[in-house]
Amino acid sequence: MNVQAMNTSETSQNVREQIVALLPRLRRFARNLTRNHHDADDVVQLAVERALTRLEQWHSDARLDSWMFKIVRNAWIDEVRARGRRDRIFLTAEAGDHIGVDSMAHETVMLSVQAAMARLPEEQREAIGLVLVEGLPYREAAEVLDIPIGTLTSRLARGREALQTLLGGEET
Amino acid sequence: MSIPDETLMAYADGELDPVTRDAVESAIREDPQMQQRLAQHRALRQRVQSAYAAELDEDVPQRLLNAVRGTAGTPEVVGPARQSGAEPTAVRPRTRQRRWVIPVSMAASVIAGVGLGFFIRGGTPLVQSAEGALVAHGPLANALSNQLAADQASDSAVRMGVSFLAKSGDYCRTFTLPGAAASAGLACRRGKDWQIQLLTPGTGGGGGESGYRTAGSAMPEALAKSVEEQMAAEPLDQAGERAARANGWTTVER
Repeated sequence: MNVQAMNTSETSQNVREQIVALLPRLRRFARNLTRNHHDADDVVQLAVERALTRLEQWHSDARLDSWMFKIVRNAWIDEVRARGRRDRIFLTAEAGDHIGVDSMAHETVMLSVQAAMARLPEEQREAIGLVLVEGLPYREAAEVLDIPIGTLTSRLARGREALQTLLGGEET
Repeated sequence: MSIPDETLMAYADGELDPVTRDAVESAIREDPQMQQRLAQHRALRQRVQSAYAAELDEDVPQRLLNAVRGTAGTPEVVGPARQSGAEPTAVRPRTRQRRWVIPVSMAASVIAGVGLGFFIRGGTPLVQSAEGALVAHGPLANALSNQLAADQASDSAVRMGVSFLAKSGDYCRTFTLPGAAASAGLACRRGKDWQIQLLTPGTGGGGGESGYRTAGSAMPEALAKSVEEQMAAEPLDQAGERAARANGWTTVER
């Protein structure tokens, strides 16, 4: 299938349905990024809208899920930038929510996986989200994140280590 | 032979090439400690996967399905003006495929030709054409000059967003005009005027549509991009805004 063929409405229809099938995973990934269900859906919607305007940029030999994950992530990055600049003055209270990782690590209460994930630094969280949650191969995940594979593996390793600690460590 | 943890992790993830994989396997065979580390990696992977598995079974909101299919379907977000009996086909797709954005070079002619109704408040135009440029007028000009982002009334006609020093050396500020057709823009101080750099219909659905969605918190993409491009340094904080205002939004020492 070539790029030209992508323009036929039948193919576009086909891709749209593939994107529909991806929506649950896109939402899940977006939640990992945003840590907020409502933001996640907004970001997915924005990403879908962007993707549809540039369907011709997607090559059918590339994975559609990776391509969409990347658009979701970029949409979120743009949103965070816009929001951070505009709302910096107002958001100080919310930003404080994630302080206190250290104290949490010493609590005996076991965190849920999601809660533990939410405490990871963003770069580790998105690496884990793509590889462990979404099951992308390293190569695809590195491509989504625009980083070399070596960087991806070191983020994965650090993220896993942090999760292990937060989740109660040596249980196996 | 000791295997670095990252390699062990990649092994657990099935990411190693056959040669390295064989090497890892033979090293593991004789090393209980490494076996335990591997088991840990696998257990964590398993645990994370299953913790998130249920999210795939959740219903996807209709608005996302509509966004993909480009169909109106049954909009879940409707403005108060939407009639319950309206034909679905009468509702425009909510995808904002082409947000219109007016770059400053075109703005003057566009405003003359179209007349931006929603840039008029209470009979007072908020923007005026002056020597080929668009400048803020009336309440908008007033807000740009005087209103600080930190202490503005929630019901003010103009809401200030972020203020920053642009690469051009001018102070620029973003603003939104709340309302049914929420619109947003960027203005930069040039001499005694606030020149409008960009106007967008904000997060509303575009002009003329009765259905609208709440503004949400997203700065329109085009506006965010423009700010991003022009910003020379971090945005002004509260004190910075105050100081800039005190100085008449000019960078020239007086």
